[in-house]
Parts: sequence; structure tokens; C-alpha cells
Amino acid sequence: MRNDRLGLDGSPKKQGVYYGWYVLAALFFSSFLAIGSRQGFGVFVKTWEEDWGVSTAAISLAAAIGWLSNGFSQPLVGFLTDKYGGRPVLIISLAVMAIATIAVALISNVFGLIVLYGFVISFASGGISPATTGVVIARWFDRKRGTAMSILIAGGSAGGLIVVPFLSYVLIEYGWRVAWIITGSLTLGLGIPMLLLVVRSKPSDMGLYIDGEEPSLNEAGEAEVVVRPVGPDFVDKWKDALGTKPLWQLSFGYFVCGITTASISVHFVRWAISEDITTGTAALAFGLLSAINAAGVLVVGMLSDRLQRKNLLGAVYLIRGLAFISLIVVPGHQAIWAFAVIGGMSWLATVPLTASLTADVYGVRNLGTLFGFANMSHQIGGAGAVLLFGWAFTRMGSYDIPFAVGAATLLTAGIVSLSIREKKHSVRYVQVAPEGAAVDDAISSAKDKE
Amino acid sequence: MPRFPGVIAHHSEPIDPALWKWLSTKIDHVLGLSSGVWVLMLGAVIVLFPVVVMVLVWRRRGVSE
Repeated sequence: MRNDRLGLDGSPKKQGVYYGWYVLAALFFSSFLAIGSRQGFGVFVKTWEEDWGVSTAAISLAAAIGWLSNGFSQPLVGFLTDKYGGRPVLIISLAVMAIATIAVALISNVFGLIVLYGFVISFASGGISPATTGVVIARWFDRKRGTAMSILIAGGSAGGLIVVPFLSYVLIEYGWRVAWIITGSLTLGLGIPMLLLVVRSKPSDMGLYIDGEEPSLNEAGEAEVVVRPVGPDFVDKWKDALGTKPLWQLSFGYFVCGITTASISVHFVRWAISEDITTGTAALAFGLLSAINAAGVLVVGMLSDRLQRKNLLGAVYLIRGLAFISLIVVPGHQAIWAFAVIGGMSWLATVPLTASLTADVYGVRNLGTLFGFANMSHQIGGAGAVLLFGWAFTRMGSYDIPFAVGAATLLTAGIVSLSIREKKHSVRYVQVAPEGAAVDDAISSAKDKE
Repeated sequence: MPRFPGVIAHHSEPIDPALWKWLSTKIDHVLGLSSGVWVLMLGAVIVLFPVVVMVLVWRRRGVSE
């Protein structure tokens, strides 16, 4: 991973470790903070209920609005990332999120929570999502894009594992207002300076090439422009992608991903209780699932740089479908462990695979917008599924039918993903001569530098 | 009672408060550390990571310049 080479200006640059790994580390920490602090919301529910004398339902409203705000923000922040680069979008989003987080310490009712958490924080956190961070990573990494994406996604998991307990113990020691002030201050005091110091939207901003490639020298000893290959479906405008098949195949899969992850996140405990499984056992199963999915996403990410990504994506959906089937056919006490193990392997892996495949097929020029729409479909699918699963359980007194529907959608998503003709559409397998605005992608950072 | 999305949520949905209470009780029971010690330990992890990355980048820029 060490490299000493020529920069875009032709001067020798001693680089050491490829700078993209530092960018990845900074984005890992941004995701860690943003996702960890948003997950920590649940820690404060009981305290707010007691302090403000409100019901869980009232506080749930803020969380539900936040879910949708986060989803709807992603095409917009993705578009802004495509237009202005990831760095300004990330910095502004994280700053807004930090200031609003500190402001939560000042509120004294649910209305304030709905405004600050439901709208402001959740919307701003869309700017620290794969629709922005993934775009920056896709611009810095090509050959190891899947690995880098999976490390980035693992940052959110790590945030849940460390920031959530941290907030919980700060709550016990100092109270909830101090916990929110500390979270916002850490984001302002560490997250923002790190983004400012470390993150650049693309390698050319530092006079570097993607993957740290070394340009060859011509006869005069000057560095030649590195021409990046482009794929047959690289698009100048994001709207051009709407008429192509892979976008809908990927978005359908991600929509199903939202349906199945959100429904399980909300209804798993209720299902466990309906099967006479204790909350403690459900919590342990969650822990096992989380541990397996953190390892699973890294393994799948590394494999995706060697194998066809659509095969892995299809396999991930099919495996998750099997996990859903196990909830129906296996007796409850065994099903919960079967689900934790089988489902854990597939839980997060869809994110780096979908983001990487979108970049491979359409290029990085419009990746933020296109993946932002996919993320929005994920959140809408999730919100709808949560309501429908709840309605079905109330009507039928059982989750068998909703789980069967979940399994059917997953099996369909698996087949649809496997049907993506990656070798026909992906730049990893087919390269064409660049034309039009695709030249920008082809010449990579060199053109930007000029 | 409406529930919150759990720890395995895909993006950044809040942790389920009932599950977290159970988990934190178990952790406290097994490790027996006070909440003040936890704040220090976890806080150190949160602070150290970005500081180390920033120092490495700073040094790297100093070397390349």
C-alpha cells in the first residue's frame, strides 16, 4: 500500500500509504459519530417520558419523522455531492447535525424533539450517509472499491457498538442534557476538524490519481495523462440512467432490503414475545446477529473486489430470504438463533455491494443522486413495511404471513439481482472509448486539475 | 406499546430502549465497572481515533512538504 510516484504536476511525490486510506478513516469516523449518535436516541426515551410526562408513542413520532426525513434528504444531498463534491456537503451536514444536537439539550417538550431530531438532525445526517460518503470513496478507490465501501459501512456498526453505550453511561452520570451537549461538542470539536484536515472530494484535489496509480512517463520524461476506462452505461446526466435496466434491478433489491431490515428491526422483539421468547434471549440474538454482520460485511466487501458483485448481491438476498423462512418453519426458540446466524451474514452486505455496483455501471459522476434515490426507496420500503407488518399482526395474531411475504420479496430480489448482466454493463468487464462528458470520468482527476 | 427500531437497524434508527436496558444491565453485571469508568474508557476511544488519524495526516504532509 506504499507508493512513491509522480503527482499530476509531474513532480515526484513521496506518499507512503495511499492517501485514500486516510480519507476512508475520516469518513469511517464521521459515519461512526453520525450513526452512533442517532442510534443513541433510543437510550433517552424512558428519561424523556418521565421528564416531560409524555407517552412512548409521542416520542416515536419524532423517530418516525426522522426516519422519513433521512430518506428524503438522500437524493438531494447526493445531487449536491455530485455537483459540488463530497467535502463541502459532508462538512456542512455534520456541522448542522452537531449544532442541532447541542440544541436538543435546551428543549423541554416533544415538539422541540420533532423539530430538532425529526427534521433537522435526521435530514442533516443524510449528508453523512453512503449517498455522500460512498461517492467520495468511489472517487478515491477503484480496484478495492468493494473493500473500502465495506469498511466505511462497518463504521456505522462500530458507532452503534461504542457511541450508544457511551451515551448511556453519560446519561447515568451527568443526565441527558449533558449527554447531548457532549455528543454535539465531540462532533464539532473532532469530526469537523478531521473532515477539514483530511477529506478531499477526489484525488485530483491533492494532485493524486485514483488508487494512487502511477502515471507512465513519455519520452521527454513527463507524466502522461492517466485515461480511466469508462463503462458502456456511464451517464452524463442522472436522468439518462432512468431508462436503463440495472438501475431498476438494483433499486428493486434495495427497496426489498428496506422492507426486510426495517420490519425485523421493529417487529423482531414483538415476534419473540409472541413466541414466548424472553427479551433477554432476543437481545442476545441481536448481539450475535450484529457481531456476525460486522464480520460478514467486511468479508463480502473483500470478495466483491474479486468476484462478480451481482452474484454476491443475489446470494445475500437469497440467504436473508432463508432467514425469513426459518422464522416460519423452525420452532420459535430455535428460529431466533437460526435467524441471528443466517440473517447476520446478509444484514449490512447489501449496502457496499449496491453502491459499488451502481458506480461500476453508471460511473461516479452521478453516483450520489442515483444511490440517493436507492436509499430513499430503501427508507420508504422500510416505513411501509413497518406499518403493514404491524397491521397484519394485529389482524391475524401471527407474523407467519408477513414473514412469508418478506421471504417472497427477498427471493424475488435475489433472482432479480442475479439477472443483472454485470459483464455487459459494468466497467470492470467492458470498457469503451469515452465520449461527451464521460471524458471527465475517463481522464479522471487530470481534467479536474487543469 | 410502539417500539423503537432495534440495534440491528440498517441505517441509523434508534436502539430499542428495552433491549439496551437489558444489555447494559448484563454488561454491568459481568464487568462490574462504574458508569464513570465506562465514560472515560469509551470517551477515550472516541477521542483517540480521530486524533491519531489527524496526527498521521499532519506528519505525512510535513514529510511531503
